[in-house]
Amino acid sequence: MKPEKQALTTTSRAPKPASAGGSHSALAAELTRLLGPRRVLSNLSERLNYRYDAIQFGATPLAVVLPESTQDVITAVRAARAAGVPIVGRGAASGLSGGAAPLEPGLVISFTRMTRLSIHPERREATAQAGVVTLAVSEAARPHGLIYPPDPASLRTSTIGGNLAENAGGPLCFKYGVSGDYVRALEFVDADGGVHHLTRDAFDLAGLLIGSEGTLGLITEATLRLIPPPRFTRTLMAHFPEVGACAEAVSRAIAAGAVPSKLEFMDRACTNAVEDYLHLGLPREAEAVLLVDTDGEDLDTVQDELRLVEAACLEAGGTVRRAATDEEGAALWRARRSVSPALGRIRPQRMNEDIVVPRSALPEVVREIRALGDASPFPVVQFGHIGDGNLHPNILFDPRREDPHAVHDLAHRIALVAIRHGGVLSGEHGIGSMKREFMTDAVDPETLGALRRVKRALDPHGALNPGKILPLEEAPHAHP
Amino acid sequence: MNNDIPVQALGGQGEIMAHAVDACVHCGFCLPACPTYALLGDEMDSPRGRIVLMKEVLEGQLPLMDAAPHLDRCLGCQACVTACPSGVPYGELITAFRGWSEPQRDRSVFDRAKRWAILKALPAPKVFSVAARAGQFAKPLAPALPAALRGPLDLLPERVPALQPSPAFTPSQGPRRGRVAFLVGCAQQALAPNFNAATLRVLSRNGIEVVIPEGQGCCGAAALHTGAREEALKLVRANLNAFQPEEFDAILSNAAGCGAGLKEYPAVLHGESDEARARAFAAKVMDISEYLNALLQSGDLAPPMPARRPLNVAYHDACHLAHAQGVRAAPRALLRAIPGVSVLEVPEGDLCCGSAGTYNLEQPELAGQLGQRKAQNILSTTPDLIASGNIGCHTQIQSHVRRQGSPVPVMHTIEVLDLAYRGEL
Repeated sequence: MKPEKQALTTTSRAPKPASAGGSHSALAAELTRLLGPRRVLSNLSERLNYRYDAIQFGATPLAVVLPESTQDVITAVRAARAAGVPIVGRGAASGLSGGAAPLEPGLVISFTRMTRLSIHPERREATAQAGVVTLAVSEAARPHGLIYPPDPASLRTSTIGGNLAENAGGPLCFKYGVSGDYVRALEFVDADGGVHHLTRDAFDLAGLLIGSEGTLGLITEATLRLIPPPRFTRTLMAHFPEVGACAEAVSRAIAAGAVPSKLEFMDRACTNAVEDYLHLGLPREAEAVLLVDTDGEDLDTVQDELRLVEAACLEAGGTVRRAATDEEGAALWRARRSVSPALGRIRPQRMNEDIVVPRSALPEVVREIRALGDASPFPVVQFGHIGDGNLHPNILFDPRREDPHAVHDLAHRIALVAIRHGGVLSGEHGIGSMKREFMTDAVDPETLGALRRVKRALDPHGALNPGKILPLEEAPHAHP
Repeated sequence: MNNDIPVQALGGQGEIMAHAVDACVHCGFCLPACPTYALLGDEMDSPRGRIVLMKEVLEGQLPLMDAAPHLDRCLGCQACVTACPSGVPYGELITAFRGWSEPQRDRSVFDRAKRWAILKALPAPKVFSVAARAGQFAKPLAPALPAALRGPLDLLPERVPALQPSPAFTPSQGPRRGRVAFLVGCAQQALAPNFNAATLRVLSRNGIEVVIPEGQGCCGAAALHTGAREEALKLVRANLNAFQPEEFDAILSNAAGCGAGLKEYPAVLHGESDEARARAFAAKVMDISEYLNALLQSGDLAPPMPARRPLNVAYHDACHLAHAQGVRAAPRALLRAIPGVSVLEVPEGDLCCGSAGTYNLEQPELAGQLGQRKAQNILSTTPDLIASGNIGCHTQIQSHVRRQGSPVPVMHTIEVLDLAYRGEL
């Protein structure tokens, strides 16, 4: 089996730890000398824990650095470059594409202790080091009458650095945009240990770093835009006897002029997995559940928008329930946030897709994926930010009983559905190692060549997060 | 999480461990819930990290002693269980793992002596009481003593009360509405005898007859959670013999740690001959607050007298109530049932106070940091009174609240209710 294939399909099969380095590699010794023992992990028991993200296990690193400042990052990068080993940046490792899982033994820089955060209400800005937990930004900003809108499902765990590396979205992204839309400035450390401060003017180099999954540089700090929270929010849940009908309702609502703040969908398997966990009284029989928030400064407008969505849902054959209280609305959103990990209750492992398709194609795409799932031996579930056309079809499997190659094959066919309808491979979770083989289907050779030239310009030795995003140049087309 | 744990060779406890590892999807949702992750910010001291370490040790890929420092730092608070959307029974995993690994560990003579002393003294109220009184006199010497001795002395109250044996039978006042068995607990008999006295008064006042079955002993949680499985099994079986579940409406505990321990019996005996008995027993176990709240909800709770003045009560969720037993609403509802009482929510309420059984003795530094953080969080609500439902939290919180110079009283939830019944709140 080729190594890249193995990385793609064996999502949790942990490579055996003994393979990587002794208990004290030369690199670990040098880093300890430079940074002190508190900031460097060199024992096997410590390093073992820095080889995975929320989807995949990779290689055990030779050493792990827990920097407390940008200077520590620079020191670590220079030491790793001198030792000629690859460097993988890591936040809370809640990512879903293998982005933070090292594909080969090297240095992992884990940002969880870089948690300095300051709020500047007069500029409506927050300055956050890479390890600041996403939710902490809004919590710190709220007393000043401000919030930080990007709200990935993992917001209680994930870090700003990781969010920016993956350009994470979240339910609010339909109306408010994704993480990258809130970045005013970035500090990053390059592959040689140089530090840079970027704004969004001239060449938007910050924009290039965002979503580059740690392959172009290590984001150490960001200046983030804050906004006042909307005064009113209303929540509605609709359920449908068929998944395509749910997508139709979304298309109709948006065509009618509604701009909901959140438009989220989950199919029957998701609803049931969450219901098993939270017991919220969700409609277990429905094939699709749609969750919608409308928000704004003016209650009448908020209510009008909710009515437009309600009408669209009813026209598409749905049953609508409005959340009577804020608590009821909060419970429904907790349900949505729990979908991803709750799927572990169905099968221990999963291949997670992150496709985005034009909204007009949504009904057809969800139906085609449903049909692919029904024809396969695997449970295939769908959920996602349907307002953005961002769907997360997940193939659930048990690697002890089921063939990972068949999973990979099905994942590829699902990706091709998206591409055929004018979609892309990733909305928010990144390409990582999970989907990099599909890049040759999604991106034309000239564009891939441009991406490779950018990578070479910023990381000439290929030291930063190798094996992610860009397929091997000689890799054959997996499905001609 | 995929694994090669040799379940066959490990037996019933192996099944429990492998099931928990299987269920973990390493999503990381547990990280922000974990007190040691909050303090240390590294993956090995998080629940997800510990699950991976236990898996590697069980698979034979990692020497036990390499993983041990990180596993020992786990408080067993189970906040991660509450946070986990995949339903990983982490508490069962770490308990089973400690039971499996302890016999293989190489501990210093001092360490072994300390653990032996703790496990002998804790379940024996008379011994514990004598030790506590001796400790009381040693308290002024604390600054000169080694850290291992300073920790426990710091936690002792200024005055260790006299032991008050509880009556074997307490009749109901008025017509009998229920009959319960009661576990008296160990350390709390020596440190806070009023917890039990108040519990008996409150139950009796509500028409509940209370039996304290002879032959009962320590619930076994302390032994179990420190890996002394053989010791724990003796205690568990003694209690299964002492309590006849079919004779009672419920088996009550007023210490969150003990109640959680009793509810764990089926997992402890998984795959063994007494498993069915353990299930029948555990099915009857309730925390005192759950039982009384059921009366409250059905309109049968004797109404408490109003507090003399409006009282802000900061309620602290004991981990073994909130996370291990899922009991959060009941104690709050009981406090709110007292006219004039408002219940305050504590910031970072889900974070352990650092007491966690024997943690104070084994990890004094981390326990101290958590205790200080908890006391600060509680005091930030400016309460008139602090209530909780566990003796371990009680001593820890009292000690750290006093250290911060606050005179606010710390009570068991049932003591508050008892005072209200007597018109003294």
